[in-house]
Amino acid sequence: MENPRTELSGHRVLVGNRGEIAIRIMQACLKLGVAFTAIYTPEDKESTHVSFAREHGGEHGLYMVSSYHDANELMAVADVSGCTAVHPGYGFFAEDFRFARRVVKRDRKMIFLGPSWKIIRELGDKINTKRLARSLGVPTVPGSDRPIYDEMEAENIAEDVFDFQLQQGIDHPLVLIKASAGGGGMGIEEVDDIDQFRSVYRRVRNYAARQFKDEGVLIEQRVTDFNHLEVQIIGDRSGKNQVHFGTRNCSIQSTGRQKRLEVAPGFDPSVNEYNFDANKVLDAITQYSLTMAREVGYDSVGTWEWIVTRQGAPFLMEVNTRIQVENGVSASIARVKGQAGVDLIAEQIRTGLGEPLGYTQQDIEFEGFALEYRLIAEAPENNFTPWVGTIDRFRWKEHPWLSVHTQVPKSPYNIPTEFDPNLALAIVWGKDLGELKERGLVFLKELELQGHNAAGEPMKNNIAFLMEKTPQILKF
Amino acid sequence: MLNISDLLEQIKQNPYREIVVRTPHTGVVNFADIKQGQAVHGPEGQWKERSGTRLATLTRERNPKPIYAPEKGVVDKVYSEYENAFVENATPLVTIRHHLTREEVENIILREALHLFRAPERAKYYFTPEIDAKMKSSDPGSVVIRDGQELFIMSRMKRELPLYYSGPEGVIYAIYFKPSDNVDADAPLIGVCPQEELPNIKEVIMRVQTEWQEN
Amino acid sequence: MDNLFLKRIQSLRDRLSYMQDIFAGKHADSVSLLLQKLDEFTEKVNNDSLTNPYDELVALEDLFKYVEARLDASITPLDKVRIVRHPQRICLRDILENVYDNFTEVGGQDEHSIDPSMVIARAVIIRRRGKKRYTQSVMVIGQEKGHGAEFRNGGSVKPWGNAKARQFMRVAETEGIPVHTYIFTPGSFPIEDYPGAAQQIARNIYCMAGLRVPVVSVISEGGSGGAEAIGLADKRLMLSNGYYSVISPEGAAAIEGHCRGGERPSQELVEKCACNLKLTAEDNLRFGYIDKIIQEPPLGARSYHFDFFRQLRQEILLATDEVVLSAKLSPFKKIGVSHRNKPGVNLDEMYMRWSLTQSAKTRLVKKRQNKFLKLSREAAVDKRPFLTKALHTLDDLVMTPVNEFKYEFYRKHQRKIHAFLEEAENEWDVFRSWLRKPFGKQEEQKVKEAVSSELTSLSTWSDGQRHKRWNYLSPRYKIDQAVTCPNAEIYGCPDLWGPDLFAEFAGVCSNCGHHFPMEPEWYVRNVFDVGTVMEFNEEIEAGNPLEYPNFDKTIRAAQEKTGCKSGCMTFEARIDNIKVVVAMLMGTFRGGSFGAAEGYKFVEAAQRATKNRYPFIAYVHGTAGIRIQEGTNGVIQMPRCTIAVHRYIENGGLYMVLYDTNSFAGPVASFLGCSPYQFAIRSSNIGFAGPGVIKSTTGMDVPPHYHSCYKAMDRGHIQGIWDRRQMRHNLIQALQTIGGRNLYYR
Repeated sequence: MENPRTELSGHRVLVGNRGEIAIRIMQACLKLGVAFTAIYTPEDKESTHVSFAREHGGEHGLYMVSSYHDANELMAVADVSGCTAVHPGYGFFAEDFRFARRVVKRDRKMIFLGPSWKIIRELGDKINTKRLARSLGVPTVPGSDRPIYDEMEAENIAEDVFDFQLQQGIDHPLVLIKASAGGGGMGIEEVDDIDQFRSVYRRVRNYAARQFKDEGVLIEQRVTDFNHLEVQIIGDRSGKNQVHFGTRNCSIQSTGRQKRLEVAPGFDPSVNEYNFDANKVLDAITQYSLTMAREVGYDSVGTWEWIVTRQGAPFLMEVNTRIQVENGVSASIARVKGQAGVDLIAEQIRTGLGEPLGYTQQDIEFEGFALEYRLIAEAPENNFTPWVGTIDRFRWKEHPWLSVHTQVPKSPYNIPTEFDPNLALAIVWGKDLGELKERGLVFLKELELQGHNAAGEPMKNNIAFLMEKTPQILKF
Repeated sequence: MLNISDLLEQIKQNPYREIVVRTPHTGVVNFADIKQGQAVHGPEGQWKERSGTRLATLTRERNPKPIYAPEKGVVDKVYSEYENAFVENATPLVTIRHHLTREEVENIILREALHLFRAPERAKYYFTPEIDAKMKSSDPGSVVIRDGQELFIMSRMKRELPLYYSGPEGVIYAIYFKPSDNVDADAPLIGVCPQEELPNIKEVIMRVQTEWQEN
Repeated sequence: MDNLFLKRIQSLRDRLSYMQDIFAGKHADSVSLLLQKLDEFTEKVNNDSLTNPYDELVALEDLFKYVEARLDASITPLDKVRIVRHPQRICLRDILENVYDNFTEVGGQDEHSIDPSMVIARAVIIRRRGKKRYTQSVMVIGQEKGHGAEFRNGGSVKPWGNAKARQFMRVAETEGIPVHTYIFTPGSFPIEDYPGAAQQIARNIYCMAGLRVPVVSVISEGGSGGAEAIGLADKRLMLSNGYYSVISPEGAAAIEGHCRGGERPSQELVEKCACNLKLTAEDNLRFGYIDKIIQEPPLGARSYHFDFFRQLRQEILLATDEVVLSAKLSPFKKIGVSHRNKPGVNLDEMYMRWSLTQSAKTRLVKKRQNKFLKLSREAAVDKRPFLTKALHTLDDLVMTPVNEFKYEFYRKHQRKIHAFLEEAENEWDVFRSWLRKPFGKQEEQKVKEAVSSELTSLSTWSDGQRHKRWNYLSPRYKIDQAVTCPNAEIYGCPDLWGPDLFAEFAGVCSNCGHHFPMEPEWYVRNVFDVGTVMEFNEEIEAGNPLEYPNFDKTIRAAQEKTGCKSGCMTFEARIDNIKVVVAMLMGTFRGGSFGAAEGYKFVEAAQRATKNRYPFIAYVHGTAGIRIQEGTNGVIQMPRCTIAVHRYIENGGLYMVLYDTNSFAGPVASFLGCSPYQFAIRSSNIGFAGPGVIKSTTGMDVPPHYHSCYKAMDRGHIQGIWDRRQMRHNLIQALQTIGGRNLYYR
């Protein structure tokens, strides 16, 4: 093969996102020798992603737009700057199959740096995903795998789900009723008593009919005691070479089920005790995920999300057809052909633009443990309420085992209010779980993060929360 | 007590407001036939159903969008260097010198006269559904609020929080925010007038109506 | 000079100013001659220098008469429009006072009335036979222009005025007395407040389509929908200087001249339009839309033309007698009619009873309906081959009795058989479950095992089409272009991408739900069962019955653009296997304007639905109203199509109307608005007159969204609003719930 880099150099990537992920995408582009164009909105003018683009982007490197949510802005900027590809980052358009379709179907076609729109659509539909999984023998949450429209049928299934849980020895069985056309946690209710089922079912059905114009509901077991695991997958445009980059455990979350601390790999049976064979479970979910990825011809980075019960039963939850915030923890423990410094975002861009993967599963090894802290201006003690104000000082001590991704500049910074409140990601590596926890705490202790709000009160953040949680990592 | 005459005099010193018309998003600009010194008008008609003078057309993704003058005034500057160029969001296109209307003057003076309830942080604000329904169904200036009443929903960082009113009991006399826009910390949200002071406010309005000449 | 003398001079002055008004500057020499003579005469009167005042006055009057008669021959259509609108023109009260022998106004005393533009009166006519006097009652209904009195609103009736008219038509029906209507209206007042201009006119027409008493109407000023509101009569008489038109010449000229926002069309254009519209009594008699012309005195009837009132009385009596006679099965019918048509007959001395037997009333209504249904067929271009037409007729002859047997007789007995079978089946089920009882336990165990595997393994799901594909996509989806939602300002909708909007989104804004208009084909292909749509009568083409200048070209252009021969497509189709007949008014064909061809097809479709006992759906993709270039050939479709619908509904049919995009004017004010079930697609507008027309006719500004379907529902004009994407589902649901089990016929 000739030098693949020359093929990439003709490309220009539109960075269709903001904050730290925009920076990481731009860094990956620089690494690959690919030009980029970044965008920003007036609220973000202080963000480091803007100054970074100004510094490294050259001509056509940066444009101010009205919104990150307006696809027309992205397309217009891409056209005027001559972009050949669009990287959506995470959030915004990352899992919007219509956006991906528009990128590739419009008159001036570009490459969407993510899976093909058909895969996004297929795996973005929870019923589709569940049915695909079942058709391949991949375990899913017990319950229906198609929308139920008939009240009698719904009640029968609910009864069965209750009985099933009692058979499994679950003391307080719960049933979930979800609007099948819903998403984002809307139209979901819980029932712990079959006698209440009908009234709740009708409520959800009516809500679904009103909100989604579809009366169908799903009826499932509500799993309560579990760990949240993920399998990192990547495939190239051939749709045939899929490899995994191991597992992650993302069980430490806020009360609103937002991730706060992620660890790779998913379990550590050498230190912690589990009620099940942890390696076997990790292996199983990895293989299940790969099976599905192969079935759909997965051709980009993606994450298979799993829940694993205390008994070690895994259920597939959903597939995230995008690069994830926590991709760095997996990259941190991965070695490709013995080399460290894996960058999954660069891999996504490189393969997305058409380069073959260039290695197989045999070439990938894992070394040590890594965790990621999400540093956020919020009050964990008060229901994780976001804090609004100005950051005056944000400093940390550099270490060879530490990398920090942030859009927060060194100068005082007003936290924009219209986006997620993530300030920074800190990725820490250790050769074993003990060293990892130790280093993690070192980082947090050395960290300086101060600010004030309009009322002059000091900044609230989640450092204490993260410190408190660090000793708990990978414990079920 | 408010000295209306002084305030009015002060405003009369400079009865203008400069309006910068900016692009609402990216696109290619084509100016309408407007020149410096030309008079333009804002939306007209009983329901503002007729749009203002067209200043330019902004084309993005083959979708031409007319840009209209938001208020009556005189064109001060046309940024004609952008003609036929692709511009970023919020690029200035035209500045308009706008003579304050009676209503605007009223508002300026009322801001001095009313109790202003201000935004505690930068966020989007909405009235609670009950208040919103009341505002829609009753006459302006007749919804009474009390200290400690849940009045707003504050929305930022994808989280919504209730916001309680603090201040004197009275009617909501003026609203200074739009639900779709972000409000800066400390910017006023509403102007409240205690019921017993309503006659004074009416007087303020009378004074402005008689003393302010619109051209 | 005595008072009477001065009055006669004043009367001449009035006649002169009238002449000046109606000719609007034309015939200036004649006018100035009269003016000069009159001034000279007045001068002399003032100087007392007349030698023989009375003789000279008579001479002057004769001169006036002579000039008037001479000018009468050169009256143009626009002059007639001015005559009809002149304050000196006779009005309904003049007629009540001079034509009838006595009357009581009902529900009105000058300005104290629910609507002073509409006058209702119970009037009597006294006729003699020999020495005996007979008093005959009639219900007189008509618009009152009141010689220009402002509160009469020029005879422009508000919706509640028309509602009052309908109320008293029903009263007349109850009392069994004839209705005489007098049409003095430039058009109805275009407001939407309940009961709504269009909707109320529709109710009136529907009512008159089946009114079981004789109806005679007299047209002076027949302004489109307002005229039709009281115009569906057994006999329609027209004053010789009247006009009967789809639109005022000014309105036509404003459209023709593309006038916008208060701009006035030129006088020449108005004059031209008045001619082109063929709105005179002669024109309408030729078309067959009126039955007789009543000759007026030169330059038009005014209050002092007592001879004219006498003549009008004779004509009214004759018309009423004829209508009554025609409904009777009397052996003297023919003689009676010819007797009455002899010259010099005085109908006051020929009494005949106006009451009818039940069967005569049925005949009367049927005759009235048939008369209208036959009208205007020549105004459309029927290109169906002879054979098709012949087969059609033959099919009618054979199938009508067959269907009658099928539905009237067989259906009734079929139900009984079904009921018996159902009962037998129930008994068998009970017996069977008793037989199988001993094996019950084993089955239960099997069920348990099946359950756990059912909860964790793939179920069968035949309906697995999660990403529903539309059968038809708007061709606009091929254009890579962003589209701005009209609600963007209010709801902050981002620009939509055309290929998403016009394909997957079915033309619906994903943020606010605004419905962009879609092509008629979208509905044909996406609402009805695939492959079941069968068009009929596509060969009936829109024509140019008035030979309106350049209109042939315009129609041809529309035909080429749309690939359709008219603005109405009629087809049979199935929806969820239910057979239906659909008449679709297409907004893409000349704005969905409705003319003779469209009316022809609509009537045929209604008749087909009647014959086959199918539900009849009027899907209004859009209609701007009656096609003005067809004049009264278009207007007459209002009563015609309403009659067709009336017959269908009275026969037990299920008639549903579904509005989309913009539906206005004539069609809404007749055969659409009369449906008991009217639904609208979101973002549609429904009303009588568009904002521009309202502004130009009433001077009122119309608030935004005045005609939106939500407002229409608030006002009680429609019964529901549907999302386009749910239209198929809603239609099925409506058919099943409104039609019930025996869907098509009650």
